[in-house]
Amino acid sequence: MEETILKKAISTAVETGMIMLQNGAETYRVEETINRMISSKTNSPVEVFVMSTGIIVGAHINGEPYTTVSRVPSIGLDLETIARANSFSRIFTQGDMTQEETEIILSELRSPPKFSKPIRYAFSGMAGGFFVLMFGGSFVEFVLAYVASSITVFSMDKLTVRRLNFFVKNILGGLISALLSIFMVFVVGGLSMTADFNTVIIGPLMTLVPGVSLTNGIRDLISGELIAGTTKMMEALFIAIALAFGVGIVLQGIIAFI
Amino acid sequence: MHILTQGFYSLLCVIGFSIIFNLPRRLVPLASLSGMLGWIVYILLQQTATSFIIPAFVGSIFVGLVGELAAIYKKQPATIFIIPGIIPFVPGYGIYYTMFHIIDNNFSQALVTGGESLFIAISIACGVVIATSVVRYIRPYLSQGDGSF
Repeated sequence: MEETILKKAISTAVETGMIMLQNGAETYRVEETINRMISSKTNSPVEVFVMSTGIIVGAHINGEPYTTVSRVPSIGLDLETIARANSFSRIFTQGDMTQEETEIILSELRSPPKFSKPIRYAFSGMAGGFFVLMFGGSFVEFVLAYVASSITVFSMDKLTVRRLNFFVKNILGGLISALLSIFMVFVVGGLSMTADFNTVIIGPLMTLVPGVSLTNGIRDLISGELIAGTTKMMEALFIAIALAFGVGIVLQGIIAFI
Repeated sequence: MHILTQGFYSLLCVIGFSIIFNLPRRLVPLASLSGMLGWIVYILLQQTATSFIIPAFVGSIFVGLVGELAAIYKKQPATIFIIPGIIPFVPGYGIYYTMFHIIDNNFSQALVTGGESLFIAISIACGVVIATSVVRYIRPYLSQGDGSF
C-alpha cells in the first residue's frame, strides 16, 4: 500500500518538476520542489538530479532502490505556470490531497490560462517599442518597432506550434524581424520620414533574445550547479547564434544589393 | 525630466514583457514597478559611473531586492518578479552590434562588443544572486514581526 502511494508521489513530483522546467524555472528550484514533494511522503533519502534537458530521481521504496528518468523538451517561458506549480507543491507537501484532486490540478497545470491573443500581441509590441524609446529612438522608430515586435511574436507563436527545431525556429525569427524592420524603414523612407534601421531592429530582436536563459544559466553556475548552468548557457549561446544568423542573412543581402 | 520619461518607458516596456512571459495578472503591477525602479537606478548610474558594468550590476541588485521582498509579501517564487525586471538590462544592443560587426568583417570591434555583452550578462546574474543571498540572510528577521512580511 505504501509502495503505491510513494510511487504515485514520485510520479506526481516528477510531473510537476517537468512542467516547471519546461516553462523556464531555474534548475535549483525544480530540484528543491521535487525533493520536498517526495520527502513529505517518505523518510528514506531522496536524490534528485535536474538538467535543463532531463530529470533523474532516485528514491528507496521498502529498502529497494527506485529510479526514474524523464526527458524534458523545452517549451518556453510561462511565469503563470511556475507560480501555480509552486503553490501546488506547497499544498501537496502540507496536506493529504486525494488522487482525484492531484490529477485535476496537474491537468490544469498543463494548460495554464493565457492572455487573449489581441492583448498578447498588443503588449508584445509595447515591449519592443518602448525598448527602442529607452535607447533613444524617435517616435517613428517607436511605431515601426511596435508593429515589427508584434508580428515577430505572432510568427514565433505560430512556429512554436509547429514544433520546429529550436535553432531553425530562431533563425526564422531573426529573419522575420530583420526583413520586417528593413521593409518598413524603406516604406517610411519613401514617405520622407527618417528612421534608423539599426535602432528599429532592436525592438523585435529583444523579444527573441535569450536574456533569461543566459542570466539563469550564470546564476546556476554561480550557485555551483555546473552542468545545469553550462547547458542553459549553451542553449542561450546557440539561440543567439541562430538569431544572428537570421538577421545576418538579411543584412548581408542588403549590403550586397545596395 | 529625462529620468521621468525613461522611467515611464521602462514601466511600459516591462509590462509588455510581463505579458509575453504570461505573468499572473495580479502580479504585473509589482513586477513592472520593480523593473522601473531598476531602470531608473541604471540611468542615474550611467550618467555618473565610468564603468559599463556598474549600472547593470547595481540595477539588477535593486530589481533582485524588490523582487525578493515582493515574493515574501505575495508568497510567490521570486523569479516571477525578477525575470521581467531584468529584461531592460539584457544587452540586446550588444548582441546585435556584435553580429553587425562580424558581418562588417570588423572582428576586433565584434570582440569588444561581444565581450561587453557577456560581462553585462554576468553582472546582471551576480547582482540578482547577491540580492537573493542578502534576502535569504535577513529573511528570519523580516518575518519575526506580524508574520505577514
